[in-house]
Amino acid sequence: MPKFKLDGREISFEAGETVIQAAWRAGIEIPHYCWHPGLSIAANCRMCLVHVTSGRQMAMPQLEFDESKGEYVPSTKPKLQPACQLAAAEDMEVSSTNEEVKAAQSSVQEFLLLNHPVDCPICDQAGECKLQDYYYEHQGTLKRKLTEPVHKPKGVRFGPTIVYDAERCIMCTRCIRVSDEVAKDHVLDMRERGNRNEIVLAPGRELDHKYTLMTEHVCPVGALTSSDFRFKARVWFLKSGTGVCTGCATGCNTHVDYDPRYGKVYRLRPRDNAEVNQFWMCDDGMMTYTRHDQDRLEAPTRGRGAERAPIGDAEAITSAAELLSNVEASKLGIVLSGQHTTEDNLALAKLATALGAGHVYLAALGGWDGDDILRSDDNNPNRAGALAASGSEALKSTAELVADVQTGTVQGVLALGWATTERLEELTPLVSLESVVSLTSHVGALPAVAALTIPVADIFELEGSFVNRQGIAQSFTPVLDAPLGVEPAWKAIAAIGKAMGHDLGFDSVAALREALSNQVEAAQ
Amino acid sequence: MEPADELLDDEAALELPTEPMRLNMGPSHPAMHGTVRMVLDLDGEKILNLDLQPGYLHRGFEKSCERGTWSQVFPYADRLNYVSPMLNNVGWSLAVEKLLEIEVPERCQYYRVILGELSRIADHFTCNGASAMELGAFTPFLWLLKVRDWIWDLLEKETGARMTHSFGRIGGMAAPPTDTLEDDLKALLPEVHRVVKEAEIMLIRNRIFLDRMQGVGVLTKENALAYGCTGPVARGSGVAYDVRKDHPYMVYDRFDFEVPIGQDGDNWDRFMVRFEEIRQSVRIIEQAMEQMPKDGPVNVDDPRIVFPEKDDVYTTIEATIAHFKLVMEGLRTPKGEVYSFTEGGNGELGFYIVSDGSGTPYRVRVRPPCWYNLSACREMLMGDMIADIIPTFGSINMIGGECDR
Repeated sequence: MPKFKLDGREISFEAGETVIQAAWRAGIEIPHYCWHPGLSIAANCRMCLVHVTSGRQMAMPQLEFDESKGEYVPSTKPKLQPACQLAAAEDMEVSSTNEEVKAAQSSVQEFLLLNHPVDCPICDQAGECKLQDYYYEHQGTLKRKLTEPVHKPKGVRFGPTIVYDAERCIMCTRCIRVSDEVAKDHVLDMRERGNRNEIVLAPGRELDHKYTLMTEHVCPVGALTSSDFRFKARVWFLKSGTGVCTGCATGCNTHVDYDPRYGKVYRLRPRDNAEVNQFWMCDDGMMTYTRHDQDRLEAPTRGRGAERAPIGDAEAITSAAELLSNVEASKLGIVLSGQHTTEDNLALAKLATALGAGHVYLAALGGWDGDDILRSDDNNPNRAGALAASGSEALKSTAELVADVQTGTVQGVLALGWATTERLEELTPLVSLESVVSLTSHVGALPAVAALTIPVADIFELEGSFVNRQGIAQSFTPVLDAPLGVEPAWKAIAAIGKAMGHDLGFDSVAALREALSNQVEAAQ
Repeated sequence: MEPADELLDDEAALELPTEPMRLNMGPSHPAMHGTVRMVLDLDGEKILNLDLQPGYLHRGFEKSCERGTWSQVFPYADRLNYVSPMLNNVGWSLAVEKLLEIEVPERCQYYRVILGELSRIADHFTCNGASAMELGAFTPFLWLLKVRDWIWDLLEKETGARMTHSFGRIGGMAAPPTDTLEDDLKALLPEVHRVVKEAEIMLIRNRIFLDRMQGVGVLTKENALAYGCTGPVARGSGVAYDVRKDHPYMVYDRFDFEVPIGQDGDNWDRFMVRFEEIRQSVRIIEQAMEQMPKDGPVNVDDPRIVFPEKDDVYTTIEATIAHFKLVMEGLRTPKGEVYSFTEGGNGELGFYIVSDGSGTPYRVRVRPPCWYNLSACREMLMGDMIADIIPTFGSINMIGGECDR
């Protein structure tokens, strides 16, 4: 690989790569606002100016004050070049820290702050704002301009998800480019020039494509804020965990930002993964975190309708074992879930084998509108994982379960998860069965028809993995504590198995994973 | 117990077996200032052995420093030697400034010298006053503390607080000198001189006081060096070591002052060294007043180190950001380690700090002068009488906040 030198350090690059890109891959950040590794090059913020010190020097004419003559005389200064647009070349020597570059960085930063409002105390970006970081690192001077700053529109509603503040905007055009290049929707553009510059919507449009939150995500300052996160939390109080989006079979990698004081998730952010989601996520995926708090099942219940009443944790397990024992094994239906981790599904599949259950189904959501950007048509994060866990090519659907119940082929059900394609009315035949046990993190149609529900940990509370549509297994670790007494589903399943006299042979997620890889190898 | 007449019958029983008495002194004892415990083995009133047990005032100063920003250490530093907090403030400022490789403007350096020396005077007055009081001389105590109060009045005027000022800042001071500082000092310094003289009249020809101080609690020069003693304790033993003279920091090399030393290393020498140092501190302050620039900046000109003015913070984005960064993340120091030391009230006050390049100290270690002086205390007291503990321990001026941290 060819190499160039940045501040004395050798950096290898691929032909055609820019200096900033090669440095970024090597883990060195050249300060920048408008450049984004996933977007086209705009080179308009001028923050990434660097000095090419090798080869023939580019010089820029300027006037310099000569004290002996008492007047300005012509001279030159080195011409700096934007690292984001400068193609790396073999043996090139680049400085991003010498005096010329430092002066340029400081000046650019000062220029960007020239008309910036004093908004940090009320700005959601404060604490993760590039203007703040670069001010401290590269400027460090106080205001010299004494006149009133230019005022522009504030709090402009761009659409259902995004609010725009033109005064904070530094016109990097990342939001325009993300709409153009990622969402393929030219809904944003820029108008006017100089200090009247502002980002505007296409006439008659709202910012309403499926990737609007990415405009906020790429905004290096607080100009674009998400209506959902706006004024909800201060970022320095948030901690970040890693997760995988539950929105669809793509399995975008996420940062889960939560407040450890309240155990509450405030937002998701895309986590870079070149194989899966590059730098992006869709709006619906970004909002999947809101499911976590809504309609949680926190205690086991027994009975249906008006008779449904909470019971103790231990009683729930024995009661489940009793209900399932009452059913002839060949007439027992086991329902895996496309919303649960591979480990949870494998535990249930093992229980099905141990009991000799006659029928295995897969509960899954019915799909949403996919696209050829990120969104998969299948809005279940782990259909592939559930299939792998069952060891079969295809599983029967919940519609077939309903049919089997109606014909009497299935007389008892043990189901995982809350998500089904069918609505509550369509599942009512299950109410006729006495032995319907639901292991679920949230309430839903399937738990609603169950005679016994046992709460299990939700995605943010357990260790596990999803297999996405590409067949990549992506694991994640718990971010939050589960509610008191609530365990991951695989533990509840092991407990039920034990109560029914079967040792399923695993006591940890690691043991489950090993079992799965053995199972897959054996099948091959 | 056996009846007395039975014992008398036995001749041998008259030769009473004796064994040393073990006596606990402190940690809660009026003379054990700063909560120290001494376990004494006594033969009658003679001290056979002495086990010094400090640590009762341990608050985890060094660990606490790792929790906040560099600037947030000042209130903790105040509470090290709380008798001369300004010297600790200055010591901490200098340590972090050494790490940052910056130097504060000259006006600030003089200002720090003046406030620091005032603190030293107050510290020595307190120590000598307390020593006298503990030997029953209550009048000199009040006589001397009167001056400490005047000094505190002045410091309050300058800093806003009488004792724990938290007035130091990295890269400067919290506020510039007041307009009245010079006049106040001109009024105060002659009074300091007068009171030292008056106190000497009261004490140095008092037979009882002399007997309790002279030849008692002797620390030889060799032992003073061996134990790492510094400050008035070492100088009382004839070790002419003063950081201000030997490793001048700030502008101390511009002043004409003497380092007083004793000959015998007894309580008396330590007592007199302190009085003489008060006179020298007055000299330093007078010269500093003379040399200090009348105007000009006090703080370094870098909003990334020194908090910008509140007016600017509320009206300009640059100052807002600087303020935000300094408060939320702390001023960032380069990665590295430094040892910075100054002459505190009791000797060499050192800060060894390690920075990982973030806004928070990675490790802070204090060299408290008291710790070493206190270690030598056993050496001073072995073989002396139990009553000698009082003036000897007093002359060490052990400050729990600093010693135990």
